[in-house]
Amino acid sequence: MATPGGPRPGNFPPNYSTNTLANNMQNLQINQQQSNNPRGDAPRPPHAAPPGQQPQPFGGNRPRAPPPGVFPRGPVPTNGASQTTLPWNPASTLTSPSSVFQPPPSFIMRTPPPVALASSAGGPVPPPPGAAPLTGPGTRPQPFISAPLTSVPPVLPQMSTSGPSNNGPTAFSSWPSQGGPHFPPAMAGTPQPPAGPPQLPTLMTSGPSAQPLQMRPYFRSPAGASPVTGQPAPPFSAPTQSMHQPSGSPHGMQAWPPQPGQVAPHPPVPGPMQQQRMYGMLPAPPPLPNQSMSLSHTGQSKIDPNQIPRPIRSSSVIIHETRQGNQSSPPPPATSDYIVKDTGNCSPRHMRCTINQIPCTVDVLSTSSMQLALLVQPLALPHPSEEPIQVVDFGENGPVRCSRCKGYINPFMKFIDQGRRFICNLCGFTDETPSDYHCNLGPDGRRRDADERPELCRGTVEFVATKEYMVREPMPAVFFFLIDVSMSAIQTGATAAACSAINQVIDDLPEGPRTMVGIATFDSSIHFYNLKRALQQPLMLIVPDVQDVYTPLQSDIIVHLSECRQHLELLLESIPTMFQNNRTTDSAFGAAIKAAFLAMKSSGGKLLVFQSVLSSIGIGSLSAREAEGRSNKTAGEKEAQKLLQPVDKTLKTMAIEFAEYQVCVDLFITTQTYVDIASISVVTRTTGGQVYYYYPFSALSDPAKLYNDLRWNVTRPQGFEAVMRVRCSQGIQVQEYFGNFCKRIPTDVDLPAIDCNKTIMVTLKHDDKLQEGSECAFQCALLYTTVYGQRRIRVSTLSLPCTTMLSNLFRSADLDTQFACVLKQVASEIPSAPLTQVREQATNVCINILHSYRKFCATASSSGQLILPEALKLLPLYTLALLKSIGLRADGRVDDRSFWINYVSPLSTPLAIPLVYPRMITIHDLDEKDLDDSPIPSPVPLSSEDISDEGIYLLENGEDCLIYVGNSASPDILQQLFGISSIEEIPNQYVLQQYDNPLSKKLNDVVNEIRRQRCSYLRLKLCRKGDPSGMMFFSYMVEDKTPSGLSYVEFLVHIHRQIQSKMA
Amino acid sequence: MEGLRWSWHSWPATKPEVASLVIPLSIMCTPLTPFNELPILPYDPLTCSQCHAVLNPYSRVDYTAKIWVCPFCYEKNRFPVSYIHINENNIPAELFPTYCTVEYHLNKRGSEQGSGLSSGLGSAPSMNKALGMRSNSSSFTSMSAYLGSSSGSDWAGPGLVVGPAIVFVVDACTPEDELGLLKSELLHVITRLPENALVGLVVFDSMVKVYDLGFTECLRVVLFHGEREVSSEQTKQLLGLHHMTQSLGKSSAVQRKDFLLPVSQCEFNITSAIEDIHSSPQIMRGHRPLRSTGVAISVAVGLLEGCLVNTGSRVMVFTSGPATIGPGIIVNSDLGNAIRTHRDLNNVHAAYYRKSCEFYKQISQRLSDSSIILDLFACSLDQVGAAEIKVPVESSGGFMMLGESFASDQFRKCLRQMFDRDDSGNLKMCFDATIEIVTTKDVKICGALGPCNSMRKMNNSVSNKEIGEGGTYIWKLGTVTSKTCIAFFFEVGDGQNIHSGSAFFIQFITRYRYGNMGIRKRVTTVSRRWARKHSPEIAAGFDQEVAASVMARLAIHRTERSHAHDVVRWLDKTLIRFASKFGDYMPEDPSSFRLSSNFSLYPQFIYYLRRSQFIDVFNSTPDETAYIRLMLNREGVVNSLIMVQPTLFQYSFDGPPVPVLLDVCSISPDVILLFDSFFYVVIHYGSKIAQWRKLGYDKDPSHENFRKLLEAPELDAEQLVAERVPVPKLIKCDQHSSQARFLLAKLNPSVTHNSTYTDGSEIIFTDDVSLQVFLEHLQELAVQDPSGHELNRIVTAAHDLTWGVPRLKCGLDNASGIEGLPLQGAERISIQVLELLLLSELLDDRLGHDESHTVSKDQFNHYDSVVVDRDEAVEDGGEMAGSVLDVGDLELGKKVGEELVPVVDTKVETVVVREESKYLMLKLRQRLSWR
Repeated sequence: MATPGGPRPGNFPPNYSTNTLANNMQNLQINQQQSNNPRGDAPRPPHAAPPGQQPQPFGGNRPRAPPPGVFPRGPVPTNGASQTTLPWNPASTLTSPSSVFQPPPSFIMRTPPPVALASSAGGPVPPPPGAAPLTGPGTRPQPFISAPLTSVPPVLPQMSTSGPSNNGPTAFSSWPSQGGPHFPPAMAGTPQPPAGPPQLPTLMTSGPSAQPLQMRPYFRSPAGASPVTGQPAPPFSAPTQSMHQPSGSPHGMQAWPPQPGQVAPHPPVPGPMQQQRMYGMLPAPPPLPNQSMSLSHTGQSKIDPNQIPRPIRSSSVIIHETRQGNQSSPPPPATSDYIVKDTGNCSPRHMRCTINQIPCTVDVLSTSSMQLALLVQPLALPHPSEEPIQVVDFGENGPVRCSRCKGYINPFMKFIDQGRRFICNLCGFTDETPSDYHCNLGPDGRRRDADERPELCRGTVEFVATKEYMVREPMPAVFFFLIDVSMSAIQTGATAAACSAINQVIDDLPEGPRTMVGIATFDSSIHFYNLKRALQQPLMLIVPDVQDVYTPLQSDIIVHLSECRQHLELLLESIPTMFQNNRTTDSAFGAAIKAAFLAMKSSGGKLLVFQSVLSSIGIGSLSAREAEGRSNKTAGEKEAQKLLQPVDKTLKTMAIEFAEYQVCVDLFITTQTYVDIASISVVTRTTGGQVYYYYPFSALSDPAKLYNDLRWNVTRPQGFEAVMRVRCSQGIQVQEYFGNFCKRIPTDVDLPAIDCNKTIMVTLKHDDKLQEGSECAFQCALLYTTVYGQRRIRVSTLSLPCTTMLSNLFRSADLDTQFACVLKQVASEIPSAPLTQVREQATNVCINILHSYRKFCATASSSGQLILPEALKLLPLYTLALLKSIGLRADGRVDDRSFWINYVSPLSTPLAIPLVYPRMITIHDLDEKDLDDSPIPSPVPLSSEDISDEGIYLLENGEDCLIYVGNSASPDILQQLFGISSIEEIPNQYVLQQYDNPLSKKLNDVVNEIRRQRCSYLRLKLCRKGDPSGMMFFSYMVEDKTPSGLSYVEFLVHIHRQIQSKMA
Repeated sequence: MEGLRWSWHSWPATKPEVASLVIPLSIMCTPLTPFNELPILPYDPLTCSQCHAVLNPYSRVDYTAKIWVCPFCYEKNRFPVSYIHINENNIPAELFPTYCTVEYHLNKRGSEQGSGLSSGLGSAPSMNKALGMRSNSSSFTSMSAYLGSSSGSDWAGPGLVVGPAIVFVVDACTPEDELGLLKSELLHVITRLPENALVGLVVFDSMVKVYDLGFTECLRVVLFHGEREVSSEQTKQLLGLHHMTQSLGKSSAVQRKDFLLPVSQCEFNITSAIEDIHSSPQIMRGHRPLRSTGVAISVAVGLLEGCLVNTGSRVMVFTSGPATIGPGIIVNSDLGNAIRTHRDLNNVHAAYYRKSCEFYKQISQRLSDSSIILDLFACSLDQVGAAEIKVPVESSGGFMMLGESFASDQFRKCLRQMFDRDDSGNLKMCFDATIEIVTTKDVKICGALGPCNSMRKMNNSVSNKEIGEGGTYIWKLGTVTSKTCIAFFFEVGDGQNIHSGSAFFIQFITRYRYGNMGIRKRVTTVSRRWARKHSPEIAAGFDQEVAASVMARLAIHRTERSHAHDVVRWLDKTLIRFASKFGDYMPEDPSSFRLSSNFSLYPQFIYYLRRSQFIDVFNSTPDETAYIRLMLNREGVVNSLIMVQPTLFQYSFDGPPVPVLLDVCSISPDVILLFDSFFYVVIHYGSKIAQWRKLGYDKDPSHENFRKLLEAPELDAEQLVAERVPVPKLIKCDQHSSQARFLLAKLNPSVTHNSTYTDGSEIIFTDDVSLQVFLEHLQELAVQDPSGHELNRIVTAAHDLTWGVPRLKCGLDNASGIEGLPLQGAERISIQVLELLLLSELLDDRLGHDESHTVSKDQFNHYDSVVVDRDEAVEDGGEMAGSVLDVGDLELGKKVGEELVPVVDTKVETVVVREESKYLMLKLRQRLSWR
């Protein structure tokens, strides 16, 4: 693609190359650094330190070696003909590293990058250019190309631009030193600095650096160094880097990235420049960026764990323009902090594709073993600095749409015939432009008003819906709270917590005359409350028939918030005491939600249920089958996954009815026992709701989270009575939707409610060939009602280039998205297939992809090497983590696993990876760190080797947050952080408090920042060794060897063997 | 006397003789008649070990041997130890010859009674045991169970007697202003309840809310869906009252709910709950409000069942309209559908009637099982479904009131009167009553009519012939008031060895629970003598008032199951038989007919009964009919006679008020009439009087007399109104005003538009026969030789008598009515058959083949079976009929059949006889005379 493609490809490459390389480099570096100095500079080092630290691990030599390496490169870039030079340099560097490397372990395989390249080229790689490059020393060049493809979009542009344009350098040079500090956010974001450097290397050094990443120590260091200096302004960079690396390279690095302002203008220019170079320089389609590891057959022992790829998270902010130079730009990693400028494609927050280039044929896709799918999050929360989505009102006629496929007008519809007609980019049909929408075309073939009309220049817009889009008046925002008041709920304090949470949240409910609330409680019967104003005291209406429920008619069960505020508060305060002496142990959960539903039936709305015990009577009652399963071992193993399936269809049928009447159910499970989440979660799933799980519920530590969860639940951006459809360009069609919704017709999904956190996975399939060089568009249209009662259509359009080249696919693969898809699919499989089979399936996904890459893109490397595509180098790690996750472990509680499965279903991309590969940071040394750009220190690998007895660690996965206190932790620190003097005093239930000392403040800052990032309050728990809590903590150490699972290194070996056997 | 009135005071000793009396042997029993000198005995009665009769003045006592002989079964019983001091000079009250009625006040606590503890003079353990076993033991055992269970709960702490339970069932569909009045009335009642009375509150609209009165945090109600029928079990379960039935293992799980609490504990709660009732606002346009009366009643009953309150409880329903949803539905909520009328009922057009009656019949059974009373206070301009609800109300002895507004005096007075308290602060209410009859061997018990339920307990004094609630010697009454009156029917056994002149005994044992929850027993023992054959004693012992009211009850009892026309025919036939039996006349000479004075009023009573709304339902709604029949079935002899034949007093300047004939002639311009029909009291001002009043003469001091004249009837009317429950409606009207119709409708139409002389006096527009004509016909028929065969006369006369001259066609009408078959059946019957039917029936009646007028069950079906038989005969053999028939006749028959039906439908009001039908009539009559 890249090369052949006209101008566009040109643009891409540069960006990509820089990014990808940068990323790779960074990642590796970071890991190394971390591993090397786990505590020390952890945060910073990753970015800046790469060069400096890397060396360390390997020994004195390396660290230093890199810098030198860098230098050489530095010059090369300066030359301008970076590419040619680069390749060589890397080679040289490579060799040296390799030699160095080899001694240690076989790990570094990529030494002979060229070979790899050649092989790949020679292999199946279709692109014609490929051949040339392969033969020649092209290796380097290739990297270049590949690099672009690989995904490191955001920052790169800048880099690249600067790089290519010679002008840039000067500017850059100046920046690094000065700018760094100022702009930390933009570029500084972790990745960038490193990115910068790596890019260069990749570009310059050629693929080698990138591809062969395995080299990391060497390469990176060199790469890292060189890149920084290299592209932008070799001369500068060199010095700066050299300067920095040893001491505080981070700063320098960070400094670089920043210039968002400048960057913006530049990008276009650089694009072409680079391309040209590319062409000139690299005749051959280069190999893809890889990471290869040589694994000796004998054993993993030779692999240095510190060398293995690990994720690096950057905290610096990336600025991402969705399209540049009329090319779609690859999105930044989902987990990174970025600001999107919508320049035609929708923000990656709204829609991401697993591969950022679309294979033209099924064959190409299936050969790659990758999956083509979209992750759609239509109401995703924007970054505060992003422009708000524009609302377009077409008046009575409604939005302009294709008359055939009903696709909505978008920037990729092509106007022809002086603007009188337009061609639909989705179905190819030519439509008449409505007369009042007509506008002449400019010389560039675009409509003259394109830039003024959001729907013609933005990837995401919101249309005001007309009457045609309504089957009834837009519904009011109805919130119905249903609270468990059975004995155990009362006694555990769950009821009180729920009531107080609701009470506090009332003020946060969307204001306005259309907001209505209702409340009910339930135990073995259902209690509604008449909230009418005229009444002196609340009136409780008990519905005793839980087999065949009904709801009070003609009573004021659901009333306008403004009319009942006082009543509601009074009631909520008195509910816990009212039921104080309740001795009812039964719970009629099914009947209760049904009754509440009946009350809401006429309007629809959100039903928020607080449940504490297993539903034991009435409709949809359940049995404690977990216990039954345990006592009945014979059936146990075979039927194990049955416990993860709903027990029967009752609740499903109910849920479908709920969905039909636009009732969305959210479950807050505050329990200390088994509640059969597998069965009840069906309701939330089908109605577009969500399960919150507080197990074991603690009246001390959980109410705060309950409140915050509830608050976020009602205040987050959301919509009601929604319908969503994804349309694709001809040749591709939607295969299936996954997520929390109800589907009644094949093409649409019905969402009684949707909010900013809900993501829907859309798998795609080919039904035709796509034209190479064309673009394939995806459009997600969500028709919904806002909380203020406006009917809107949110349309997000993403247009991606098509390619026939396998290598392009690998280069443009989006790891986060791919992994999220795998995660979701695996999760959906768990209840229906034996665990071993699911685990195998997950592993196979990884193996097949790597095998495909190995076979078709990196054939030249020796069979002793494990070669990882740069973009997917973390796939094995994540796969391993997935295998060890709660959902795929057989030893967990059934409810925990069900919850996990259920949690994954609507999970957004940025949260998918932390779920299986949590972030762990050290906190005992928080105040020693310099955290001027991000309050969160850089993460520590999830390996118990990295855990010291003196340390205190914080581990979070977006939902839970464990704080592990080593047995030898300093009492002083304990005192500062937790207000306790010795490890023995660690409480079971922990509430984060801020004490008056800097360390504690920092901890609070860190936790708050994490909460902000995750949009989740986190369940905090203190863990210590020797406790069950400690065991739980260590169960998250996914890189460790466990009785049932391999260590990371072992796993790599395992995969490698599998690939080898496949190859053979 | 003893609260008993006998239709015959001397009973013939053989069955045929009894049959020939025409009026059955019956006793109108008012069990709780107030007595001035009622001996109250503070101990338990002594009962015969064999027949369980209570020791009474007719017992022979051997003072030395301490033995008494039961007068009923001649069993010798030993006096218990407590009677050790008995001797000729020291005899207990129950043996005083003058005390044929005594009342035993048993120990206050039922539990003590049940557990065999006792004090006072009487009651050895063995007797208690006997008593416990015999009397309605269910309430005893359940009572003790209840007390046992309640000991754990708040109410009924030791020593505290829990009073009666009252559940108020309030219709929240009542308009707000009406509801306000109702609420204030209820609050008033609550304040007047004794502290130990249990109260509950059920409010219904489209759903039924049961208030939890023990919950203080807020108002709490349990909700039932108004459209779903809930069984007793379900109700208990849904209310969480099933703890009693569950073993200890699983109980205690349910949060306790107190739906029924003593007033003292929940006065605040129930007050605020009542105040909190609001009218349910949403009513769809063009629809009636959604009322789930049926479920509300069912739930209220279930609540009482669940709380095991068998000490007496009442469910008081206050409603303002018909049930429109759920079981017991009367009409659906669409205003396009009218509420059923009598015509709909006859045509089976009332969609819900049958089902709802069935539903209420079940309720009735439940009420009876748990001794619960159901009261209905309906204040509505519409019908509320009283016709359907009547069964449980009546059988439980409950009170029914149909008013127009809760603002009415009628409502307020009725309600307050109900909660009157006696001197010691107890409610004047009785609960859970049973009446047991013990008789001499040859007296057989047939049954009872009145607000009671047969308990289906047989012994050898129970006849196998059933009248009303029969087949038992014990009846259960939800409640008894001092006015409640029950008609008991008897017959004589086959006893050959009855010595005329010897005495027979009947003992009524009425056991009930008084307002203070103490159990009382009133025992009345009476004796009469057997009469010789044709003895004049028999005729002398006739009480025509009783006879009339007994016949009235029998008549309305029949209307429940058969067509009004049949009932009238039956009344006529019995009257004819009665007249020819007891009349004094020369055969075949009507002018010689005389009735002695103690028989003379009877035909008149029957005449008015035939015209009354009890039988003739034209122009009244099913609800009204149900209501008045219910009242008739309950009131004593005097009141029921007032209902049947209202009283009319005349106030004039000529002298003090005098009773005048209930005749249109009594209306005169210069008199004021005070009319009392029990349900209505009408003051009717003659036209002159009205004019004077309008001119204000009454305010003129010089016309003091006139003012007094005006005042006098008003004062009297007020007195009537005050004493009566339910309070009658007072109507004041002027002559010729529209309201005067209340009076005119009841008067004997001696002067009608057909009369030859109308000298400006009041006339009544009617085709009904006047009393005079009626009596003439009666004389004519009565003097017929019973064995005579002048059938044509009989037939025509019978027709005349039955339907009045203008309604000759009704003879045919009637014929179709008799056979009761659907139209197709009627078509198949030829004229011949009709004739045969008529003739044979009349013959049967005349010849006395019909053994008794009190019809037993299979006799009840008599007509049907006859028709079927004849019908088959025609179809099968065809000879009998065929010989007389020709083709033309058959055709005619068909036409007759077709024509008849519409005639039946239009009932009495408009006699539209088509020319053709008239022709047929003629033919029929000719044929008959030819015969």
